[in-house]
Amino acid sequence: MLKLLKNLIKEPMFVIGVFLFLTTVFAGLLGPSLYTPQPRSEFGYEAPLAPRGIEVDLSKNTITHWVVHRGDTLYAKETIKKDSLGNMLNNTALAKYWIGTDNLGQDYVALLLRGLQNSLYVGLLAGVIATTIGTLVGLFAGFKGGIIDDILNMFTNLFIVIPSFVVLVLVSTSFPQGRSLTLIAVLIGFTTWPWTARSVRAQAASLRGRDHISLARINGASNLQIIFKHILPYLASYVFMVFIMQVASGILSESAISMIGLGPLGEGATSLGVILNTAKNQSAITDGLWWGIFPAAIVITVIVFALYLLNNSMEGVFNPRLRK
Amino acid sequence: MAHILEVKDLSLHYLTRFGQKIHAVTDVSFTMKQGEILGVAGESGCGKSTLVNGLMGLFIPPLYPTSGDVLVNGESLMNRSPKDIRENVLSQKVSMIPQGAFNALNPTRKIKDIAADVIAAHSGNKNINKRQIYDRLRERFDLFGMETEHILNSYPIQLTAGERQRSVIGISTLLNPKVVIADEPTSALDVTTQKVVVKMIFDLLEKNIFSTMIFITHELPLLRHVSHNIGIMYAGEFVEYGTTVQVVHDPRHPYTRALMGAMLSADSEQKNRKPTTIEGAPPSLAKKIEGCRFAERCPSARPECRLKTQGLRMVGERLVRCDYAE
Repeated sequence: MLKLLKNLIKEPMFVIGVFLFLTTVFAGLLGPSLYTPQPRSEFGYEAPLAPRGIEVDLSKNTITHWVVHRGDTLYAKETIKKDSLGNMLNNTALAKYWIGTDNLGQDYVALLLRGLQNSLYVGLLAGVIATTIGTLVGLFAGFKGGIIDDILNMFTNLFIVIPSFVVLVLVSTSFPQGRSLTLIAVLIGFTTWPWTARSVRAQAASLRGRDHISLARINGASNLQIIFKHILPYLASYVFMVFIMQVASGILSESAISMIGLGPLGEGATSLGVILNTAKNQSAITDGLWWGIFPAAIVITVIVFALYLLNNSMEGVFNPRLRK
Repeated sequence: MAHILEVKDLSLHYLTRFGQKIHAVTDVSFTMKQGEILGVAGESGCGKSTLVNGLMGLFIPPLYPTSGDVLVNGESLMNRSPKDIRENVLSQKVSMIPQGAFNALNPTRKIKDIAADVIAAHSGNKNINKRQIYDRLRERFDLFGMETEHILNSYPIQLTAGERQRSVIGISTLLNPKVVIADEPTSALDVTTQKVVVKMIFDLLEKNIFSTMIFITHELPLLRHVSHNIGIMYAGEFVEYGTTVQVVHDPRHPYTRALMGAMLSADSEQKNRKPTTIEGAPPSLAKKIEGCRFAERCPSARPECRLKTQGLRMVGERLVRCDYAE
């Protein structure tokens, strides 16, 4: 175990992947509670880092009033003489949004952190469900063989043939009142397991005839014992890598169905995909308001990229033939 | 209770996906007394390993029993649930030493854990203490004259081929089975290791860990040293069954003779003898075979052989499946 870890740490791809992934996970877990969002702006889609509010410069006896517009002109400034307004404006705060605001004027940083947390939750739950179902189905089909294999295989193929995206869309539309994050995650998990099942089945079937399985069998081990004590440990590294891929694809699937407006719905169910969807709906893309789209897209890309890096580097270490 | 193992007209078949039956073992009968060692020899694909599964009552699809019966200690193994067989027969009554020790141990577990599973699975007592199990293991492995601690605490990959095969034998005989079936225990081992393994088997016999054994191999010279009786298998049937001396030194069935002729030997007087080969291949077992199964390859076959099914008959005090053997 320790040696495996040492080998993994030698892999630069693994280190980068772990770093990126842990960064996103920590940001998602702790971000929403640590970061205090800027007060809400009265303007939608305020540009990033644009100064806003009223700045009073007592030394020059000037008051600068930043006016923010959406879209074309980002902000304008007027300078007003002090005496015309008096001293009461002295305390006005100056708010700057690091990556702008959304259509309702909410601070994007806070939204993104919340969205990251929710997206990770959906991805992880979908990954756990898909990996568990897929692994169990694959193990039993591959190990049992015969008619059980045929039936489970047919079942798996059925799920592969039905485009899972269409199922996701159909099921999502049948819950118009509200779709919780968990519901979306479960839907994704239940539609993406067949690929796991297939690959695990192939591996388990190749193990079935191995001598150590026969030894366990002739010494009176039951089928369940053989599957969980002799086959699953053999496939553990493989299943783990499959799990990582399932998490990545879960996050992507969630963004995809949220993007077309069928994602989580309701109070606090802001995922990265939902942010993208809102931006699209408010024509942020056509108006050239890049900060409505890019931050969320980049965060999704970074998580998925980190997971792919992890998976790739682990394959290199777990599979001795690919070892350099 | 005269016989510890009684096999009555045992026939086994494989059922393929397309409903085709492959009759891998046909009408095998023999009995074994306590303390007897039976050698079974034959070429690859003659049904030896299928017979082993049948003798353990281990019918895993696509293998099914066709007819006949196997009695261990007077108790039939037929028509019993897999669970019953697993809990009451395997390891305790009939155990097997598998071939290819190289792969017979799960590489992800330590020897002691693999062995502990066997004891735990059959102890009947679910809360048996791990320490008790390990103590029992140590006691047993000490008997073998091996470095007990080293072997028990190693992963299979850390052991030599000989150590592995001996561990496998140790694990298979943990529960003092009544009958042990050794399925080519020495194949894929070099000569010195083979000797160590055979010595260990004899050691166990001497120490009364088990007394009755079926030794399956295709190495006839080894059988000569090990077994009391020998059965020669061809295409799923016993073609000759007699004592070791009879079968090895005075074979009567044409197949046994050809098999002896095909053997290489290190004897100096055999130096100039060229080993003969048996032309052709065994018949397909998917179809019903008319006449003698060996007829196609038999050097002394007559036209009648292809028509008339041969039965076992007494020739020179042993059973031979050939009407024309003398």
